[in-house]
Amino acid sequence: MLRKIAFNLFAWSIVLMVAFPLFWMLVTSVKPQFELFRRPPTILPETWTFEHYWKLLSDTNFLGYFWNSVILSTTTTIVVVAIATVGAYSLVRFRYKGRESLAFLVLFTYLLPSVVLILPLYLMLVQLGLSNTITSLVIAYTTFALPYALWLLRSFMAGIPEDLESAALVDGASRLGAFWDIILPQLLPGIISTALFTFILSWNEYLYALVLVNSDDARPLTTGVMNMLISSFNIEWSLLMAASVMMSVPLIIVFAFLQSYLTRGFGAGGVKG
Amino acid sequence: MLAAVGPPAARRPDPQRYAMAKQQQTVLERQYSRLGLLLIAPTVLVFCAVIAYPLVSAIYLSLFKIFTPTLEGTWVGLDNYRTLLVKGEFWTSLRANLIWTVGTLTLQIIFGVGMALVLHQNIWFRSLARSLILFPYFISTVVAVLVWKWLFNDLYGILNHLMISAGLIDWPIDYLGTMPNAMISVILVGAWKYFPFVVIAVLARLQSIPDQLYEAARIDGAGPIARFFDVTLPQLREVLVVIIMLRAIWDFKEFDLIFLLTGGGPVTSTQTLPLVVYKEAFALNQMGMAAAYAVIMMLIMLVFMILYMRRTQREDT
Repeated sequence: MLRKIAFNLFAWSIVLMVAFPLFWMLVTSVKPQFELFRRPPTILPETWTFEHYWKLLSDTNFLGYFWNSVILSTTTTIVVVAIATVGAYSLVRFRYKGRESLAFLVLFTYLLPSVVLILPLYLMLVQLGLSNTITSLVIAYTTFALPYALWLLRSFMAGIPEDLESAALVDGASRLGAFWDIILPQLLPGIISTALFTFILSWNEYLYALVLVNSDDARPLTTGVMNMLISSFNIEWSLLMAASVMMSVPLIIVFAFLQSYLTRGFGAGGVKG
Repeated sequence: MLAAVGPPAARRPDPQRYAMAKQQQTVLERQYSRLGLLLIAPTVLVFCAVIAYPLVSAIYLSLFKIFTPTLEGTWVGLDNYRTLLVKGEFWTSLRANLIWTVGTLTLQIIFGVGMALVLHQNIWFRSLARSLILFPYFISTVVAVLVWKWLFNDLYGILNHLMISAGLIDWPIDYLGTMPNAMISVILVGAWKYFPFVVIAVLARLQSIPDQLYEAARIDGAGPIARFFDVTLPQLREVLVVIIMLRAIWDFKEFDLIFLLTGGGPVTSTQTLPLVVYKEAFALNQMGMAAAYAVIMMLIMLVFMILYMRRTQREDT
């Protein structure tokens, strides 16, 4: 019994140490500015304040960035998941020449560093006149999101028994009819978790946004918030922590409600690759 | 829509019907493969446009000298590669890159496996503990970096305060501005951010180890440490190899975390290859040189990538 308690205390002290930076982010965001510089620092705020959140929403362009990020991540997710679902179906359930090498190519691009693709993509998007638009970011994001989604969905698709489809075909369904009626409902958990992961990836992306977008009209949260750090004369840490919290809120929501989907996706794609 | 399929034609063996059915089947097969190609077409199109074409043109770009703002280039052949390989910067960056990759990967694996073993036990509020552990992996690198910069702050950061009050140091440490502190800090933050990946992967594997193995070891008189080395570790070997390869690839190409935390500094001591590519292309305006760096970097990574891909292909078949 005593050993069990000791082990639990040990385990939880490590967990709390890992989580401490996130706790500190929350605490800092609700402390008034003067309390930040107190020695020794207060662990819990003496006075709670939401002024930084208010300032963030009214004085900075945070909401604009947030909105850009929402549009950008949602569009990327929808486009990528739609293409990847039919693509994965084809890769797993059809036989044709070049199928194997295509699957190989998907895996290859999944591992490809984005700094290699970013130079020609930059040139390409500038020449197309798309630089500084959300569209350019959607195009750029497909370079990492599509291989990723395809790879995940491929393993989900492979997990659906082939007999189900065959049975539908014997009953007179067309191939696409069987896909719609049989495969899609079975695949739905996989699609949801792939969509969540794609959304998170796009929400957190930084490099492409840094290179391709240079105006506040299209700038997503990652580069937008970072700009607030660089451009401010004296750094307002509370404000930045408030921005960090707000930026993580969608992820927390996704995380809390759909944790089972997330871990499932992780098992399918993260480990098998 | 494209291929309506009737029920199988032959109920009893009838040569003529059988032949017809067979013929029908090949027609069907051809229709199916056409449908398969149609379904993969969008993927192939997007791949060609945003991945294959840029990849080829990255190699092509590396043969030019290009001034980024005007995008005007002159052919220089392999000159970029020649200058790059004799320049000290490439080698120091490669060295920094390897130190970063090996350092952070080692910590990720050790912490990750340890944490997975802890979370595998029946501790209080286990699912809450798991969520807290996973969280660093899912937040944006931007958020992680901002939080850590605030923790690292030399005057008001909590880390310096804790270290001083614990008596570990006398003066505040400059975590990001001097060497080797900067490299150690970057490695630590990287380990904090990415070890949850190892936790999840290992945890999933731990849950599938049959209990009988532990029972048998216990009957044979193995203590907890012997059980870990004789049962758990061999069972984890497969998944650990995969994790190490994947994480090695991802850590090697990491850009955001290092760029945002130190920007490659102090001077160039934490400047890894992806950071050089960015610097050459968008700060020094040498797009061609940047492409050469990127291609070399890809060639180095190719070793790991091929190893990993061969492994997954073996598993697939």
